[in-house]
Amino acid sequence: MQKKWLARLYKNRQLVILVLLCLVFAVLLPRKFLTIGNFRNILYAISLQGIMICGATFPVLLAGIDRTVSGSAALAGAVCCTTIVSHGFSTGGTLLGVLLGIGVGLLSGVFHGLVLSRFNIPAFLLTLATSEILYGLVQTVTGNQLINVMNAKLFNLVGSSRILGVPVPVYILLACFLFTYVMLNHTVYGRHLYCVGGNREAAKLSGINVRKIIIVAYVVSGVMGALSGLVLSSMNQQASAGQAKGYENDVLAAIVVGGVSLRGGAGTIQGAMFGALLIGILTNGLQLLGVASVYHDLIKGLIIIAAVAVDMYSSHKMSGLKRGSALRRMFRRHRHESQLKAGA
Amino acid sequence: MIVEMKGIEKVFSHVHALKGVDFSVRRGEVHALLGENGAGKSTLIKVLTGVYPKDGGEIVFDGKPVEIESRDDAFKLGIAVIFQEFSLIPTLSVTQNILLGKEKQKFGVLRKKAMRKEVAELIERFDFPLNPDDIIETLSVAQKQMVEILKALSTNARLIVMDEPTASLSAKESEMLYRIIAQLRDRGVSIIYISHRLEEVFALSDRITVLRDGHLVGVIEHDDIVPDKVVNMMIGKELSDATASRNLSVSSARTVLEVKNLSSLGKYENVSFEVKAGEVVVLTGLVGSGRTEVLRSIFSADRYDSGEILFEGKKLPKSTAKVIDRGFGLIPEDRRTQGFVPLLSVEKNVASTNYDTLSKHGFVLRRRERELGQRAVKIVDLRPANPAVPVGNLSGGNQQKAVLAKWLTRDLKVILVDEPTVGIDIGAKDEIYNFIEGLAKEGVAVLLVSSDIAEVLRVAHRIIVMKEGRIIHEFHEGVATQADILLAASGIRAERKEA
Repeated sequence: MQKKWLARLYKNRQLVILVLLCLVFAVLLPRKFLTIGNFRNILYAISLQGIMICGATFPVLLAGIDRTVSGSAALAGAVCCTTIVSHGFSTGGTLLGVLLGIGVGLLSGVFHGLVLSRFNIPAFLLTLATSEILYGLVQTVTGNQLINVMNAKLFNLVGSSRILGVPVPVYILLACFLFTYVMLNHTVYGRHLYCVGGNREAAKLSGINVRKIIIVAYVVSGVMGALSGLVLSSMNQQASAGQAKGYENDVLAAIVVGGVSLRGGAGTIQGAMFGALLIGILTNGLQLLGVASVYHDLIKGLIIIAAVAVDMYSSHKMSGLKRGSALRRMFRRHRHESQLKAGA
Repeated sequence: MIVEMKGIEKVFSHVHALKGVDFSVRRGEVHALLGENGAGKSTLIKVLTGVYPKDGGEIVFDGKPVEIESRDDAFKLGIAVIFQEFSLIPTLSVTQNILLGKEKQKFGVLRKKAMRKEVAELIERFDFPLNPDDIIETLSVAQKQMVEILKALSTNARLIVMDEPTASLSAKESEMLYRIIAQLRDRGVSIIYISHRLEEVFALSDRITVLRDGHLVGVIEHDDIVPDKVVNMMIGKELSDATASRNLSVSSARTVLEVKNLSSLGKYENVSFEVKAGEVVVLTGLVGSGRTEVLRSIFSADRYDSGEILFEGKKLPKSTAKVIDRGFGLIPEDRRTQGFVPLLSVEKNVASTNYDTLSKHGFVLRRRERELGQRAVKIVDLRPANPAVPVGNLSGGNQQKAVLAKWLTRDLKVILVDEPTVGIDIGAKDEIYNFIEGLAKEGVAVLLVSSDIAEVLRVAHRIIVMKEGRIIHEFHEGVATQADILLAASGIRAERKEA
């Protein structure tokens, strides 16, 4: 009876962790943490990375990786803002800018998809390289200067206004999340994605068009990266050369913390979003507590290590594969010891 | 006794895998471990070699009680395992692999000559066809296995576990392995031998331990080994007779699949044959004779250079998806790496070939998908009968049944089957043959690649023998015996009996 209860807790452990974390902060920060305004802040703060996560989870599920989400974001923002400025902040210019910005992400995704589906290059290396190229292009487009779009009223509305008290970027995040959720759970594409990620050869021999699956995954990743870049520019009312730099690490951290396996084929978008929320709530709470930001990174690092450890341990249990790891032994020793203690 | 395991218990989250099993091996004996898949053989070996911790019982090694908590612990005691998948580093030489982790050095510098000499001596002592400087990835499977054995011997292993060592060896290579095993035994090394090839188990073993459902069924001394009795102990039921010869005949049904002068550079040359509706045509021959390659080319998994493949008189498209669309299915050679997605459930694996009927406008029809999973489990009698279990967690036989289910749920015209029963217990083997025969009865054209002669004789309507990329013999009509096929495959009787 008690075991069943524990099993249910374990199954919903991500939710349990979030609730516990909120409780801790609620106790430590009475009146400050548990307010509508603060939760609005948390959601607003994670909306950018959240949108990127909705895209970047696709390549990770394929055992790939897309480190260019931030590069796509920067270039999309730069292209969009330059277009808006050159069209004199007109509505037409704004629409064109947004389309061009999304186009940037699309092109970047198509390129990665084409290359990675045809050649056997590690996605990490390719996207590391193209990420540099994208930031190089951003500098060219912006001329290494801030592109100010304060006068583009319509464009800035997205980053600054609220609907029913909720900031617009949060709605965009929600839309992206729903899109990814439906793609992964209710479409043939999603089913095929998990097959290709879990065993590429078996997928191919089941008649799945592996190349198409890969290309689409990187396109979604690129487009969502670009979209979040547009939202970022709208929030800041400008585009800068170093915009969004480093976001890709936060994005990957959240995905891994959320239990999406870097070996591909396992994980959910809900999990990845949990990762983003966990990191977002933690950062927010620590800020409110007045903890120096150096420690934020430290704690983030520790959480990632813990997540990776859990992933390794559970995947060992799942697959029964022979992964000779010190970690496994550590877990086993630990269990032995706790059994001994229980016996004594 | 070199090792005694007493009352070993092992429980996984939902399976009681070993229920108080006793198992002991004498010094210098070949001890076979028999049982169907899921009987607990691998689990027992993994407990012995420190891969899994045991949940009860004790292990006595060389008279002393021991706790084996890791591969390392087992290794230090002198227990070596030769797994089906090798643990060699493909880019290093034989010498480097054998002496890995125990390199000879002087002042931190490798003594390459001394190392090479040591390995050369080791090779000579056992008379293996190996060169100390060969790079592993250039070797055949059999040679790699020899390197594994030498690696174990170089650490003075006293107990060597061989898990399906002949699974991917040709008949000749297997013979060589048997000699090596006899030699090791004569030198006082104990061997635990796991194999589904019963003939070899009976010929090699000094004793046999039989497991069933995690229980010890019995230990049989050499003089008491009676094949029928052992098989009955393993499965607890009578088995349909394995025939030693077979009557072949040409079917008069219409031709479904026709392969004309198919060639692929370096793989096979000028291969032509046809398969009729309801016919089981077997492509046999030694491993590496080009059979698998022909099969993969038909399925468009690999390219071919010239020739034609016709399906019902029309050219077959060169795309796997389109070939599947025409009603083809493939049970690939290695189910683990090619047949299924281990992390995904039976349901999702079976559905992966069926989304043409399970979706609308790209969206999955969840209820139909679930129904298909339920149906698939029933069709192939999967155990456990639960479509939500990840295929990677099933036993070998059930994994293969899950792969079968991917195609049995479709409207098949042609099924290509590649070594479907490697590493599968007899009970499940029989079931898989029944499925193949059932498909043929329904009018499906079956093209089967197999090295297992008993299997060939069990299901074939016609037999095509390949050697070095060419068809060297065909058995169309009359009686074919085991000897006929073996001789043809080795090229001795290539000219005779041409039909």
